[in-house]
Amino acid sequence: MAYSTKPDRTDVVIIGAGASGAAAAKVLCEAGMKVVALEKGPWRRKESFGGDELANINRYNLWPDPMLNPRTWRETAADKARLEMFCPVPQMVGGGTVHWQGWLPRFTPNDFRLRTVAGELAGTSLADWPVSYDEIEPYYLKVEWAFGVSGEAGANRFEGPRSGGYPCPPMPMSRYAQKFHQGCSALGWNSFPTPQAALSRPFGGRKATVVSAFAQQHGDPTGTRSSALNVFIPHAVATGNFELRPDCLVRELVLDSQGRIRAAIYQDADGNLVEQEAGLFILACGAVETARLMLLSKSGRFPNGLANGSDLVGRNVTFHEYSAAVGTYEDPIYAWAGGGYVSASTFQHYEHDDSRGFVSGGHVAVAGVGIPLPINWHLPGAPGWGAEAKKVDRDNFNHSLAVAMVLHDMPRHDNRVDLDDEVVDAWGLPVARVTLAAHENDLAQGRYLIDRGADILEASGARSVNKVYAQRVTGNCSHQHGTARMGDDPGLSVLNRWCRAHEVENLYAVDGSPFPTGTGANPTLTIMANAWRVADRIIATRGAAA
Amino acid sequence: MPDTFFTPHQRATVEAAMARIIPTDDTPGATEAGCVDFVDRYLSGIGYIYAKPDGSGFETLTGPSADAWRQRIEIMRRRYTEGLADLDQRARAAFGEDFVALSPERQDATLSEVEKAGSGAKASTPGESLGEPALQQTSTEVDLDFLPLLIAHTRQGFYCDPIYGGNRDRIGWTVIGFPGPASLKDVHTGRYTTLQYFAEGEADKVREFHDGL
Repeated sequence: MAYSTKPDRTDVVIIGAGASGAAAAKVLCEAGMKVVALEKGPWRRKESFGGDELANINRYNLWPDPMLNPRTWRETAADKARLEMFCPVPQMVGGGTVHWQGWLPRFTPNDFRLRTVAGELAGTSLADWPVSYDEIEPYYLKVEWAFGVSGEAGANRFEGPRSGGYPCPPMPMSRYAQKFHQGCSALGWNSFPTPQAALSRPFGGRKATVVSAFAQQHGDPTGTRSSALNVFIPHAVATGNFELRPDCLVRELVLDSQGRIRAAIYQDADGNLVEQEAGLFILACGAVETARLMLLSKSGRFPNGLANGSDLVGRNVTFHEYSAAVGTYEDPIYAWAGGGYVSASTFQHYEHDDSRGFVSGGHVAVAGVGIPLPINWHLPGAPGWGAEAKKVDRDNFNHSLAVAMVLHDMPRHDNRVDLDDEVVDAWGLPVARVTLAAHENDLAQGRYLIDRGADILEASGARSVNKVYAQRVTGNCSHQHGTARMGDDPGLSVLNRWCRAHEVENLYAVDGSPFPTGTGANPTLTIMANAWRVADRIIATRGAAA
Repeated sequence: MPDTFFTPHQRATVEAAMARIIPTDDTPGATEAGCVDFVDRYLSGIGYIYAKPDGSGFETLTGPSADAWRQRIEIMRRRYTEGLADLDQRARAAFGEDFVALSPERQDATLSEVEKAGSGAKASTPGESLGEPALQQTSTEVDLDFLPLLIAHTRQGFYCDPIYGGNRDRIGWTVIGFPGPASLKDVHTGRYTTLQYFAEGEADKVREFHDGL
């Protein structure tokens, strides 16, 4: 038994120690609150990470093991769900930030009011956010400085006002970023160095990033990329107010007689059930698992899941989609250098424009082709085996790059996460079932963004261009949002503007689940900034009803 | 525990098929890279799943992860055993000999037949596409049919870190022009950098911060 007696009650329990949970822990602990974080996965140290594509990408050293943590997917409620690793994210201390490259663009002011900007779109549940860019902006800056983000303030012409610059100058320019800038420049489009969670210079007592080829989707053995694991967690630990319990799976949250959450019931590494009481509870499991835990926590008061009187928990889920136009060049690009994601970006096609015939747009950026090797990738249209396949690898490995997009998929009431009625995980709990049908707007926007990527390739002198359109939303970029929308109207949202549940006064969610829309940009900077904002509010009110 | 799984005949068949998937031409192929050694050892048990990140050996798996890997290895062993038997059966039906005894052209034809049977599509020659990549970030080997699994393992054996028994003498990396780290240890200690392959002059601007340059 890890605990011979019930552990002491604490101020705050955070469930999930990834990007948002670690951010909240740091802020709360630094203000003197006692925090216990319950993390399903292990607490790995940087020394446990290596430059090993087989282990990290193919063999679930970092990705969740689908035999232990399955998920299912179906297109509509009428279909039979099938096993699919839908939108996996590493389940460990640090979460997705452990293996990311960390593209950290800010959302634009219009992202927070897209319903107002674009109007109604049939078949969607498009909504404005209850908070504005101006409310989030100070927290963007806090996260950028905590992480030592490398970027160039003002370079993205479409970005909102900033209260300060980046702590580190942009990363050195890769050859693939150079091609991208050349293409955008020829087209008259604005482009900028992709802001990155890595140190271009020594910063905050940490060394400059080594710029390994084993970066995107690889853990960082050097600690020179920035993650929740090597920034926020040490900050929280340093306060003495933080207790992080890895390998502890929360099975449900239970209520007291007043309808407040009394305790988290979790299973520790030895299989013991433990009850942890606290004043308030913060969900930070990622939008999919946060919704799942709420739905698993059924009670007399909430027979359909915690804080789910509205039947909105799990609904309006969005995932983005990653696809690309792939180009090859005569001259070597070495798009594996820096792991393929020391990149350049454009927001030229990001803002909504009525004349395009679809709503919104997305972040377009350059990336590599392998991860970094051609183990898990080959050129679109290339044969799978034989002499020609080998020749394609040989002729193109150093000469190809991808101009990729972050597709802004639309929220829909019927796109949702709920509990599978057949499949259980290694702990015997029903798994998350994703029901998701892409809206025509998603596919039209995707074609448009891929076409613009192809324009950049052509304008930068590519010798071949191959477009890979998104056929559906597959959850392939590990971004997840919207399962517990925040809003001012309890009939239309799960959480209020401070990400506190409308129906349970000591329950918060701070991952991507509060996002009313997914936007067209990588979400984790905003997830962490929002978590910091919510933590500040909790400190200001000391847990009183916000 | 032996570090192999295949019978001598199975091993020869796998090696021959891999030699058609990444053939030897004016540059080395799957045979020279030792792709068969890679997969034979992989299927031998759960002793070679994760290299230690500093390259000093292999991790010992425990708990649920070990159970999951035992299941996966068992599934893949079955797929190989059945797939290799099917390959020989097709070879004998079409050409009267085991796969390993066929000419390279007839081996290609046999593999194309397997591909056709697996996909339900028309037979393709080695020059034809297996379809667009899904741009998925993760892979699930156990969901693959025999031929796609064999192709995946051939590519893995050709391009993986040499510690896994393939990519012998970094042959795969040399063929495609990937300079690669000297060793897993070089990545682990932070000596490995790719800044030399950035745009002209970029490495010089940050040289003072990098021991590896």
